[in-house]
Amino acid sequence: MAVDLRVKLGDLELEHPLIDASGTFDLLEIARRVSGDYFAEFPYAAYVPKTVTVDARTGNPPPRVTETASGMVNAIGLENPGVEAFVEGLPALASLRQPVIVSVGGNSAAQYAAVVERLEEALVAGGSTLPTVAGYELNVSCPNVDGGLSIGVDARATSEVTAAVRALTRRLLIVKLTPNVTDVRSAASAAVGAGADCLALVNTFRAMVLDPATLRPFLGNRTGGLCGPAIKPIALRMVAEVAEALPRVPLVGMGGVMSGRDALEFIACGATAVAVGAANFTGLEAPRRILDELRAECVARGLTRVVDARGAALTAGA
Amino acid sequence: MRSRPPEAHTHAEQWAATTRCRVVGVRRFGAFAAVELVAPGIAATARPGQFVMVTVPDGGFLLRRPISLYTARADRAGLLVEARGAGSERLAAVEVGEAFDLAGPLGTGFPTHGVTGALLAGGGIGCAPLQFLADTLAGQGAQVTAAFGFRDGRQARVAGAFDLPRLWVATEDGSVGRRGLVTDVLSDLDVPASTTLYCCGPLPMVAAVQRWAAAAGLGGYASLEAHMACGTGSCHGCVVDTSRGLLRVCSEGPVFALDEVVAS
Repeated sequence: MAVDLRVKLGDLELEHPLIDASGTFDLLEIARRVSGDYFAEFPYAAYVPKTVTVDARTGNPPPRVTETASGMVNAIGLENPGVEAFVEGLPALASLRQPVIVSVGGNSAAQYAAVVERLEEALVAGGSTLPTVAGYELNVSCPNVDGGLSIGVDARATSEVTAAVRALTRRLLIVKLTPNVTDVRSAASAAVGAGADCLALVNTFRAMVLDPATLRPFLGNRTGGLCGPAIKPIALRMVAEVAEALPRVPLVGMGGVMSGRDALEFIACGATAVAVGAANFTGLEAPRRILDELRAECVARGLTRVVDARGAALTAGA
Repeated sequence: MRSRPPEAHTHAEQWAATTRCRVVGVRRFGAFAAVELVAPGIAATARPGQFVMVTVPDGGFLLRRPISLYTARADRAGLLVEARGAGSERLAAVEVGEAFDLAGPLGTGFPTHGVTGALLAGGGIGCAPLQFLADTLAGQGAQVTAAFGFRDGRQARVAGAFDLPRLWVATEDGSVGRRGLVTDVLSDLDVPASTTLYCCGPLPMVAAVQRWAAAAGLGGYASLEAHMACGTGSCHGCVVDTSRGLLRVCSEGPVFALDEVVAS
C-alpha cells in the first residue's frame, strides 16, 4: 500500500512530515565527510540549520552535554559564526533539493530583525547561487536583554520579535516556543497575533545536572536544556493544547521523537510536521529509519495519507 | 527505549555508518575490559587516535559512547572499556558472542609520518589508543617508549592489557611501579631531542605533560576526552579550549597539537 506522506506547512509543501530540529544535524559537516553526493540522500523534508545570531557567538564553556535518565541535558549556548558568515556559507547549500528554514536567535527584536534583514538582502541578490530559503524559525528561547528571562516566556516580547520579523519578510514565519511557561497558549496566541504563520514546539526544558563527586553543577553553564524521550509526554500535551486553542495554525511538533510511532503521536496531537532532535545523535541512519517506521505505522493503521492521522488525539471539534 | 535491529543504510562503508560487530574476545583487567570485535571496515581504514561511537546494547541509554580504538589488526578492532558509569558498565560487562553497533572510525588520528622515536604518555583509560599507536609506529620502525600513570593498583591492572616492549608505570599511591605521576616517569627517562611525544588522558594530566614537554623541549600531540552527544560534528557538545578557540573533540580532535591545548 502506498502512503501519501506529503504535508503542507502553511504554503510550504513538504514531501513528508520530518524535519531536523535546529542544532542537531549539521548537513554541511556531514556532507563534507561522506563520500558521494550526500545532499541527494539528505533524509529530511526541509533543512533547519543551527540557530544564527547577528554576531558570532562562542557558546558556553564546556562541559556542554551529559546524558540523563531517558534524555540528555545540553547547554551549547547558540555557538554560531554570526549572520555574515552564515550568508557566506549559503551557496554551499545551493544544490539541496529540499527547502531551508533558517533558525534565528537574538536578545532583542532588533537583533532578530537584523538577521532576517541581512538574509533577505542576500537572498534577493544571490538568486540561483543560493538554496531555497523557504522561511524562518524564530528561536525565542534566548535570553532577553531586558531582564534576562527568555523572550519566549513573555507574550509581549514574543509578539514584538515576531512583528519585527514579519515586517521584513513574506516567507514562512515559524515561531519556536519555549515550554518553560505556565501556559504555552499565551505565547502561542501572541506569536500568531503578531503574524506568525506556524508554531514549533517544544524547545528544551530548563534543567540542572550535578557532578556526583562534587555536588556542583556539572555543565559549564550550570543549567541546560533537557531533551530526549524523557520530555515526549509533556511535549505531546503542549502540542495538543496549542492545536486545540489555535486549530487553524499549522504546528511543528517535537520533543523526544525516536521512532515513527513517536512522530505519528505528534501528528495525532495536531502537528503537521515533526522535528527530530536528539535521535540524530544516535546514528546518522536515524532519520531514514524514523521515516520508514512512520510509513509502516500508516500502513499498519490503514492510513493512505499521513494527514488523516492529524488531530486524532484531540477533543472533538478541535 | 528498546534494542533494535541494525539500521539500514545505503552505503555500507559510508562515513559514520552504523555497523553491527560481533564480539569475539573479552579479556578483563579489573574494571576494564579489552573487547575484540570483527570489524573489517573499521580495522582497514582506522588510524591510531581515532575513535568509534558505540551504542550501549539493550536500550536504556540515549547517547552512544565515544571509545578510542585500542587495536586494529587484520579484520579485528579492539576497544578498551573502563566501567565508570552506567553505560560503560554495561559495555564492560560484554560477553563473547554479543554484538556492538559501532560507527567509525571518527575524528583525527595521531600524525606518525616520519617519526623515528616516540614517547607515549597515558593516564588511566587514556592509555587505550596508545597500543594502536605503538603498533603503527613499530611497524614503521620507530623506537617506542611508553609511560602510564594510574591512581592506584586497581586502576593499574589495565597495564596488563598492553603489549609494549618498553613500558614504565607509575601509581599515585605507589602500589604498582614508581610512586608518583606519569610526568615523574617521563623525567626519569633519557629522551633524544628528536623524540615525538604523544599523550592521552584527563586534562590535568595533559597539563602536567605539557609543562614537562615545554621544559624538556619536546613537541607532540595530545588526544583529549570529552562528553559527547553526536560524535559526528553536529551538536558542538564536546568542545575543549585551545589556542584556536573552542574546538570539537569529535571533529577537530580528538588529537590536537600538545601545545595548542588550553589544559589549565
